[in-house]
Amino acid sequence: MIKLKFILNGKEVVVETEPSVRLLDLLRDRFNLTGTKEGCGIGECGACTVLMNGKAVNSCLIFAAQVEGNEIITIEGIANGNELHPIQKSFLKYGAVQCGFCSPAMVLSAFALLEENPNPTEEEIKDAIAGNLCRCTGYKQIIEAIKEIAEELVHK
Amino acid sequence: MISSIEILTPKNLNEVLGILSSHDRDLRIIAGGTDVVTGLKQESNRFIKTEVLIDINHVAEVKGIEQTNGRISIGAASTFTEIYKNQIVSKELPILKKAVRTIGSLQIRNRATIAGNFVNNAPCADTVPALLVYNATIEIESINSKREMSLQEFLQGPYKTQLKKDEIVTRINIPVPQKTFVGDFYKLGRRQAVAISRITFAVLIELEENKITEIRIASGAVTPIGTRFSELEEFAKGKEVNNNFLKNLASKMGEEIIKLTGLRWSSEYKLPVVQQMFYQILRSATTKNL
Repeated sequence: MIKLKFILNGKEVVVETEPSVRLLDLLRDRFNLTGTKEGCGIGECGACTVLMNGKAVNSCLIFAAQVEGNEIITIEGIANGNELHPIQKSFLKYGAVQCGFCSPAMVLSAFALLEENPNPTEEEIKDAIAGNLCRCTGYKQIIEAIKEIAEELVHK
Repeated sequence: MISSIEILTPKNLNEVLGILSSHDRDLRIIAGGTDVVTGLKQESNRFIKTEVLIDINHVAEVKGIEQTNGRISIGAASTFTEIYKNQIVSKELPILKKAVRTIGSLQIRNRATIAGNFVNNAPCADTVPALLVYNATIEIESINSKREMSLQEFLQGPYKTQLKKDEIVTRINIPVPQKTFVGDFYKLGRRQAVAISRITFAVLIELEENKITEIRIASGAVTPIGTRFSELEEFAKGKEVNNNFLKNLASKMGEEIIKLTGLRWSSEYKLPVVQQMFYQILRSATTKNL
């Protein structure tokens, strides 16, 4: 067992854990943050995407011990209280959510993209979500939702 | 469920070398984990006995990209995102940049590292053909030795390298290309993102008045390990670039590949695809500037 300290959704947390527990399991089982989903478990579907130090990563491929001292943001960490994040609102407006399993990760990939590049082209949007599989929407609504929020951000 | 493994997080290279020199337990190095964690999860033979993982993400000696004395030195644990965004790489090693861009997804590129790509010598490692045409050398250290060898030498056979149990790849060194090369990289997979490559090619060509003065050709995935094609390179040297010659060269490439892999059930498909792909990469390399 190790004592692990890191920043989770803006708050410092300390947890005792086996070092080779995956970040995905740590988030779901120890912190009850079940918005992070497990799809393939081998880094191919992106459903477990979280942000580590601002970058989109697959939480199924990171061991707890590797999180020490880092900053993690999950889908639960981007809304402002009960007020949804603008990306989440845009996803709802465009019907970019169907079964919803890929949505938390998809929103986080969009979040990471817009933090780095507030004015992405359609190609850049597609590239940013290429690691997030969605089997329902056909991606069109997702891309539109991200595009609109990007335009809003630029005109703010 | 992955069984419990101890994870060490050394703070510098000396600590890593010290840990590696103790042979009593089965040790593995981990950086991005995109190979190690999936290997452990899928109970791959390569990882089944692992007792201790050495996380090298905090080791400065294996990070960073520098240019000194005519060579570019890439830290073994540089992530693909770091390499893709690096200005030295963008300026001097555009074929490597292009290869890096085809790997996995953004989530993978944010974690996976360059040495992790070839240190297990999987045939499908996408950076290998690019590193081979740039004549990359690999720096390797253990507690009482330090050696450097060409990547081609390092890669012994499928899933086999020169790396010993107490050694770590620390840096990848590439001579700054002195010539004006044109070139290209192409990857064929089942789809574009998160796909294991089926065929990869990298070429670098120096042209003088439309004649090939130097050409470097490397493949990945379609051959048992990433390989340079010295016979083809010799054959092409001094030849004038025109459509017929490029077709001829592509057809010879097909023959070389069959020679290396033997006839397989997939050859009927792969041979024409290899030839067409190689022809197109030669065309694009010789008709546009890098």
